[in-house]
Amino acid sequence: METIIETKHLNKAYNDRVTALADVNLAIEKGEFVALLGRSGSGKSTLLNILGGLDAPTSGEVRIGGKNIDFSDRKSLITLRRESIGFVFQSFNLIPALTAQENVEYPLLFNYHEKAARRERAADLLATVGLADRAHHYPPEMSGGEQQRVAIARALVGDPLIVLADEPTGNLDSKTRDEIFDLMRQVNRERETTFLIVTHERELGRRADRTIELLDGSVVL
Amino acid sequence: MILGRLLDYLKVSAHQVSRKRMRVFLTALGIAIGVAAVIGTVSLGEGVRYQAVEAIKEQSDLTLIEATADIRGGAIQFITPAKIDELATIQHVEASSAVVREAYTTKRQTYLEVVGIDPGGIEGVIQPKFLRGENLEPGSRQAVLGHDVAETLQRYEGVRFGDTIPILIRRYDEDGMPVDEEVQFTLVGVLQERDDAFDQVMLIDRGVAQELRGDEAAFDGVLIRVDSPDAVFGVVDDVKALGLTAEGAFQQIESVNQLMDVVVLVLAFFAGVSLIVGALMIVNTMVTSVFERTREIGITMAIGASPADVVHLILAECFYIGLIGGVLGNLLGIAFTGAINAFGKPFIITRLGDTFSTFAEGDITLITPEILAIGMAIAIVLSLVSGLYPALKAAHLNPVTAIRTGV
Repeated sequence: METIIETKHLNKAYNDRVTALADVNLAIEKGEFVALLGRSGSGKSTLLNILGGLDAPTSGEVRIGGKNIDFSDRKSLITLRRESIGFVFQSFNLIPALTAQENVEYPLLFNYHEKAARRERAADLLATVGLADRAHHYPPEMSGGEQQRVAIARALVGDPLIVLADEPTGNLDSKTRDEIFDLMRQVNRERETTFLIVTHERELGRRADRTIELLDGSVVL
Repeated sequence: MILGRLLDYLKVSAHQVSRKRMRVFLTALGIAIGVAAVIGTVSLGEGVRYQAVEAIKEQSDLTLIEATADIRGGAIQFITPAKIDELATIQHVEASSAVVREAYTTKRQTYLEVVGIDPGGIEGVIQPKFLRGENLEPGSRQAVLGHDVAETLQRYEGVRFGDTIPILIRRYDEDGMPVDEEVQFTLVGVLQERDDAFDQVMLIDRGVAQELRGDEAAFDGVLIRVDSPDAVFGVVDDVKALGLTAEGAFQQIESVNQLMDVVVLVLAFFAGVSLIVGALMIVNTMVTSVFERTREIGITMAIGASPADVVHLILAECFYIGLIGGVLGNLLGIAFTGAINAFGKPFIITRLGDTFSTFAEGDITLITPEILAIGMAIAIVLSLVSGLYPALKAAHLNPVTAIRTGV
């Protein structure tokens, strides 16, 4: 198996006092579906942001797809986000002014693709997440579950190696939460996209391939 | 591809702008009022300029130019036969004739401004209408008098049509003592009143004038008749290109233009102060907009937008505000000038009096496509400049904090 995410001695401290991550060593294989568990403040989101190139570690190494990430090189971080990473956030992470279709196309405006290509890919993905008939609806016209489906489609539009999801089911009722979770698992199986999902719900962890638990910035073994 | 990308940004921003129509409209109105004020004042200035130039064109012989010697870089550019030939070949020159200028006095000490010119040149360049008599005969000591000078000579010296005019030409003998030589000219023609310099001039044959001066090759200038008023400034430029000076009624237009340039600039400057207010409104609106969308901008960056992309998206929104402001500003400006014409004109005309009676017929404001285009450009450029600060502010957001803390 190919290791797609690897961290070595990853540390993150804020103001030299608050330790968010302490010596985190991880290895996640291609196609794995991993749940990152932990209480709030345990450093889950910080780890996710560092892996996605949004935040920089204080020390340590990160390798994504076999390549070392240089956190001082802003351009390479942007390229990483455009080409290798798909993000799903907690609710309200769509652009309210754009339709579902346009929201899914949105990343391809930066990771530039021509209009026809954008349209086709977004339409395919909306069909994949079961929202082909909602393509021209705006986020406020959709339910929370539907919005997260659109967000998943958006995360997949650049054909990333990894999808990083930060509490993607945080604001959803339990039935919808299960549906979203199932959808992500389905995508994971069909496309072999690696998923790393931050959650504080243990029962979702049980349905993942593997769980990693953080406690006060360290991996609990 | 760059154009396609630009259109894509504009499309996304169009969605953003259309969500906040009222806010965008009010902000655009701020810019629009500034643009309308500039258009109103500039068009008033341009209108007054236009009317003044038209009045000059009507009241003076604009198409008559005189080319004279000039001093360029310390060397005098004389009128030479070669230059005379070159002047004649300038485009739009209908006729040209070299002249000699003299100042003679009559026996009774009446001062006479004299122009020595070929009789053919009188026909072609001066285009005279004879009140009495006819043109000079070449080579003869005959004179044609302008309307006013003819009246003066008749009143004070009793010189009538057909009489001879006794003229004293001052010369100096070997000892440097002045000696006056008397020369007789026969008055063969009197011109109708023209309201220009020729009313005061005595026209004689150029050869005769050169002979009396004692210099057969003397030229003081070349009178040029241009075929249309519109071509005058082009011909003036060509004359200057030959190293000569050009004089004529067109200089009045030049002075009016210089004056109006300053007036329009000063008016536009004061009107432009309201543009600053409009620009600050845009800064305010966009800073608010960026603040409201902090989380959205953070997410945009997380999914792959570079800081430059964010700047472009925000500036694209400002472009729309500018576009709407420009259109509204032009419409308001047109309405504003209409109001100036309807209510301001009677007031201005009563103040200016009869001299500017030509104003009564036309509009005192003049809106040209250029003014509207400039109004549009001001609105758009100003909006983009105003958007720069909010856009850079947005681009410098830290995506992590923006997503966590954003609204």
